[in-house]
Amino acid sequence: MDCNCIIRSKLGLAALALSLTAGVASAEELLVGAEIPLTGSLARVGAGMNEGISVAVEVFNKTNGKHTIKVITADDESAPAKAIAAVEKLAGQGVVAITGGYGSNNIGPASDAANKLGLPYITSGGVDDSLTERGIKTFFRINNTAGYRKAMVGLLDDMKVKSASVIYSTKEATADLAKDVQKELAAKGMTVGMHAFDPAITDFKPIINKIRLQDKSEVILMAGYENDYVGILRAAKVLKPDVKAMIGVWSLATPKMVADFPDLMPSVYGTALLPFPAEFKTADGKLFADTYKKLYNKEPDYLGQFGYVQSMILFEAIARAADKGTLKKGGVVQELARTDRETLIGRVQFNDKGDNVNFVHRMGQHQNGKIAIVWPSDAATGKMSFPGVPW
Amino acid sequence: MKMSRTGLALIAAAYIAVPLLLGSNNYVMSLVVAAMIIGGIALAWALLGNLGGMVSFGHSAFFGVGAYVSALLTMKAGVPVLAAMLLGGAGAVLASLVMLPVLRLKGPYFALAILAYAHIFKIIATEWSSVTGGSAGLASVPRFPELMGFDFSGKIGSYLIILTVLLAFVAAYRAIRASHYGIALRAMHDSEDATRVVGVNSTLLKAVMLFVSAFMTGVVGAFNVHYINFLEPDYAFSGLWVTLPIVAAIFGGYRTIVGPLAGAVTVYLVDQLVFKNLIPSGHQLILGALLVAMIIFSPGGLIPLLRKGFGRKHAAA
Repeated sequence: MDCNCIIRSKLGLAALALSLTAGVASAEELLVGAEIPLTGSLARVGAGMNEGISVAVEVFNKTNGKHTIKVITADDESAPAKAIAAVEKLAGQGVVAITGGYGSNNIGPASDAANKLGLPYITSGGVDDSLTERGIKTFFRINNTAGYRKAMVGLLDDMKVKSASVIYSTKEATADLAKDVQKELAAKGMTVGMHAFDPAITDFKPIINKIRLQDKSEVILMAGYENDYVGILRAAKVLKPDVKAMIGVWSLATPKMVADFPDLMPSVYGTALLPFPAEFKTADGKLFADTYKKLYNKEPDYLGQFGYVQSMILFEAIARAADKGTLKKGGVVQELARTDRETLIGRVQFNDKGDNVNFVHRMGQHQNGKIAIVWPSDAATGKMSFPGVPW
Repeated sequence: MKMSRTGLALIAAAYIAVPLLLGSNNYVMSLVVAAMIIGGIALAWALLGNLGGMVSFGHSAFFGVGAYVSALLTMKAGVPVLAAMLLGGAGAVLASLVMLPVLRLKGPYFALAILAYAHIFKIIATEWSSVTGGSAGLASVPRFPELMGFDFSGKIGSYLIILTVLLAFVAAYRAIRASHYGIALRAMHDSEDATRVVGVNSTLLKAVMLFVSAFMTGVVGAFNVHYINFLEPDYAFSGLWVTLPIVAAIFGGYRTIVGPLAGAVTVYLVDQLVFKNLIPSGHQLILGALLVAMIIFSPGGLIPLLRKGFGRKHAAA
């Protein structure tokens, strides 16, 4: 072998090595942390969000073609101190960002810890306004109280009612929403009766009786959680107030409620991203639904959809930052801030506080064992059955 | 009151070795600080039970009141964080004043009455929204300050603060137990009627123990709020601030001074670092089984068990 041949073969080997290295770099597995309550009081909602995150990983890895994402999950046990520890543990394992979080009291400290470590944090699990008022540039949220308020008020506008009674839990998210709705309805000249209840109570008959005899409102709005809705609807079914509609928010227009309480749900309204059985019109939606059914063998619910959307937005931002070589220079935060994308929950764009400015929920109604989207009109899959109550 | 060499060595290790060895690991330091917060409440709870003879299910009231007083003083009155922490303890003492009528109750009646007080304080924090922020709570609560170039809001700084607070509590507990009042209190534990016969004002002594226990818990609650930087009624008055410390105190040995602290650190760290890795969801199951085993085989807790073990070794040597 002459000298030129040796040099050529060495150059060839070097080129091969370089191409292999480049190949490895481009197929880099990117680590993302998921801090979620899988045990404790928020375990059910945490598990729902976790399903959405897993679907997002599956879809991203199948469709991106260049990067792959690996999610490391840490259970925050529904406790703030453990949420902080979970974020710090994930940071120690080399994640580039955090998705997850449920409950503002966990999300606040956890996102604070992530910010100190320079990690972006994206969530759909807390609607408290104070979360976006902290001046943290690494925090992003795809939903907020305003989106729920707009949906409730929009539905009432379509119903053209003049009075409403609001029954709300004194918990933070529900109380905030109830007060926001009251303000907006009062500004429109509507008569609004407010009825707060302690989360521990189970007998709602005194409140329903007060509404029936004193408020005499046209509709009842409910801001609570599953058990609260069941208690309110049971009491209303006994006392039969003369109202035209029973309207709730989250955790009400769900397949679970259809299955568990078929006698209480007819004509009841609640926020819902999709009808049930789910109908997906977009390619992204169909891919999500197919993957979800393949992984979990059931219909997707709203928790899974929110978890999916927040995680896909994050994964795409990470991929863009990796392409630009800014992954470890704050690039993920910059890419998240630039997000402008149509998703399963509508268009997502973040303001300088990290809040999704376009978030508006949809209203669904239980109709014959199914859930139809009845507001807004451009997303409606059925006609509103109004007036209508479960009794 | 002399301190043993082992005690001094442990304190030196806690101040020097822990920050040096674990200081760079935020995750482990987070767990250590959280364990010490539980330890602080466990110590205060055990003091009330051990010296005052009272079983409380309402310590979350003192924890929550201490947290709110300290957070509000720093946010609305500009009081420095460390001073506000002490005032948080004072706030918890004020809260305990309204509990004085239940001191005449005994056993489960006292335990239930004090639990009701905890719920009352939670409702006040929820409803008095103009001051407390209501159910939305308080965000961006001031952190610990930077003093002489050292940032106490960091993991090591927070650890050093809670360590100092706990050591001060241990010293106070030892001093009370060694005093004449301590003898009277221990005598009350065996027979309250007999001690009253010899002229001990048992109700007054129990009230003082309630104040001391409330102060300690309030200071720990205040520390926690400046460490977490967030507060809302459900969290501040959560039942977990009672159940976990009780488990820790019983596990470590609530009749001893260091037992509740050792119990909290052991229970919390072993659960989070070992059991959670073995069973990510449901690891509390092992902890429960361990607690049952401890109560059956060593009702006095971990510290008496260790002492027995060391005693045997020395005897064998």
